Amino acid sequence: MPKQINVALIGNPNTGKTSVFNALTGLNQKVGNYPGITVEKKEGICKLPRGVKAHIIDLPGTYSLNASSLDENVVIELLLNKNDKDFPDVAVVVSDVENLKRNLLLYTQIKDLEIPTILVINMSDRMAYKGIQLDIPYLEQELQTKIALISTRKNKGIDQLKELITNYKELSSTPCLSASEIDTEYFDKLRKAFPNQLLYKLWLVITQDVNFGKVDRNEIDAINSFKTKGKADLKRLQQKETIKRYQFINNTLKQGQTIDLKTAKDLRIKLDRVLTHKVWGYLIFFVILLTIFQAIYEWAQVPMELIDGAFAWLSEWTQSILPEGVFTNLITEGIIPGLGGIVIFIPQIAFLFLFIAILEESGYMSRVVFLMDRIMRRFGLSGKSVVPLISGTACAIPAIMATRNIESWKERLITILVTPFTTCSARLPVYLIIIELVIPEGRFLGLGYQPLTLMLLYLIGFGTAIVSAWILNKILKMKSKTFFVVEMPNYKLPLFKNVALTVLEKTKSFVFGAGKIILAISIVLWFLASYGPGDSFNNAEEIVTVEYASENLSSEELQQKISSHKLEHSFIGIAGQAIEPAIRPLGYDWKIGIAIVSSFAAREVFVGTLATIYSVENDDVDTITNRMAKDTNRTTDGKLFTLASGISLLLFYAFAMQCMSTLAIVKRETNTWKWPMLQLVIMTAFAYVVALIAYQFLK
Amino acid sequence: MNTIVQNILVFIALAIAMWFLLNKFGVLPKKKTSGSKACGQDDCGCH
Repeated sequence: MPKQINVALIGNPNTGKTSVFNALTGLNQKVGNYPGITVEKKEGICKLPRGVKAHIIDLPGTYSLNASSLDENVVIELLLNKNDKDFPDVAVVVSDVENLKRNLLLYTQIKDLEIPTILVINMSDRMAYKGIQLDIPYLEQELQTKIALISTRKNKGIDQLKELITNYKELSSTPCLSASEIDTEYFDKLRKAFPNQLLYKLWLVITQDVNFGKVDRNEIDAINSFKTKGKADLKRLQQKETIKRYQFINNTLKQGQTIDLKTAKDLRIKLDRVLTHKVWGYLIFFVILLTIFQAIYEWAQVPMELIDGAFAWLSEWTQSILPEGVFTNLITEGIIPGLGGIVIFIPQIAFLFLFIAILEESGYMSRVVFLMDRIMRRFGLSGKSVVPLISGTACAIPAIMATRNIESWKERLITILVTPFTTCSARLPVYLIIIELVIPEGRFLGLGYQPLTLMLLYLIGFGTAIVSAWILNKILKMKSKTFFVVEMPNYKLPLFKNVALTVLEKTKSFVFGAGKIILAISIVLWFLASYGPGDSFNNAEEIVTVEYASENLSSEELQQKISSHKLEHSFIGIAGQAIEPAIRPLGYDWKIGIAIVSSFAAREVFVGTLATIYSVENDDVDTITNRMAKDTNRTTDGKLFTLASGISLLLFYAFAMQCMSTLAIVKRETNTWKWPMLQLVIMTAFAYVVALIAYQFLK
Repeated sequence: MNTIVQNILVFIALAIAMWFLLNKFGVLPKKKTSGSKACGQDDCGCH
């Protein structure tokens, strides 16, 4: 059986590595038209011609082999360690046809590690449009490699790439630049001290600012016969190396590439001038946001009503076909309403992700990052923090992981700490159901109050994140200096396949990720709501019948009173009433209290919890929203969900750290419990105070 | 009989749900895995 070939996909950010990975492996990893999507290596298997298999590793984007951030370390760690099981037999350097000069810097560095290397020139479909012509045989000869000219968008050239990978042993391992050219005397000494080591690898180990777990830098320092240069001298040599590389690249491209500049100047420049304008840019972004939130409400209404009705019917139908008993009740009062409470929000979440995917795919998101950088700088953060904050609209977990490409630890820590303020998709069901209950349906200048409220909540989240960042920047005493260079990708017509896959993946992870937790919590909550200790629960029927004997209630009304009495004296009722004094000043009752506590597992559990509690309390077939709208507050005797309690609840969820998984990921990324615990205490206390003020002011 | 079966099913469902939640949120001890290599096995040295 032939050995599996290890293939590493390497390249600058946003050259389409993940698209090449997907084309080779048939997998559907997330792609996007902005840099920094991949921060961890991803793996897949590719079937090559003649029955050969390749193990493909998609590595995070890096501009060079001089690591400055965690995600870049991943690349260098792998390339410098021959003992790593994933060490590549062949490196595939993915470049973008429009940025070949810059992309080739990384290529020449990898080539100098004497790893067989294939150069992939991606986005070839744009060559004619941009007036670019390439002399491939000449480039192959000068760069001493094989080149695959491909277009992942048009699915062209992938077979040729597979063929080249299969025949990787035929590739030349000759370096592009001899390392000793940088400083002959210094490198001669280095060669003598380590005769069995690759010169360029030694040079990389010496010049990196970070420690590699598997590559021993101390080993070099320990040799007496070789004296490492000082930091400043090493920096000078690094600059000399870069200049030498660019001289080589310029000479190669002078003959190997021709660009018709008249054709190259196109719509992009004109669009950029408007979309990144210091006034129009923000205005256009604001209008786009308004359109998105309006559309989320308008378009999702019909499918949401259908889903709501379908779950109410499913509950009734299940009850009619199953034998009477507690297990049937668990299904019809616990599981179905619990899941229905969350499934109803699929259309709105899918539409939100649809818009985000289109903005990413089109290249507009990079312009947003550029716009936001102007704001962020005033708050002590660079634009690199914008990518995590924007991707936090889906989920804080990948967003916090995306901070790995921030070089400065202080800036990275601040971004990690403030990212949970960004409105994630888990907050969406909570916001939507409360907004529907307490915000009227009217319109202002053609825009609905409800979509406007939702947009305001997103802006509050983002605003709080950057204000908190500013405060943290003043408080945290750490030295930090960072530079932000944003890559402006070309505008592209979003590919239907990529957009559809992103929407499907995100919606699937929302439903199945949270769905399993909601299902489990629904079962536990139903049990706690349906069982209770003592006579008050067990003799509820007798107690209520005696209590209301004089009031001539119909049997349905009496049954309702019995259900309410049982719920209040159930395990969950007792627990809820124990916490009620703490949340009463915020305008909440014990049911909301239980929903808040259980939603610490995941915010969307709030809706599922209320759906289950109301379903146990009320035997009528009705939607969750109607049940919540009818409920009364025992303290005020008015409705439970009013403008005051609703706004208080919305603000509580906007600021509270209600997510165990986020805390776990913050612990992992900061390597201590100190930061997640501070996050939990400060965010929750702040949420409580704001919710309290809002309720007391509005009631 | 039906009541007993239904009660047993409820308690089985409850046990599974509890096990899932405890496992999910790390209350139950987990098998040691080889850890993420995303930022190296050792201290990356950046902080």
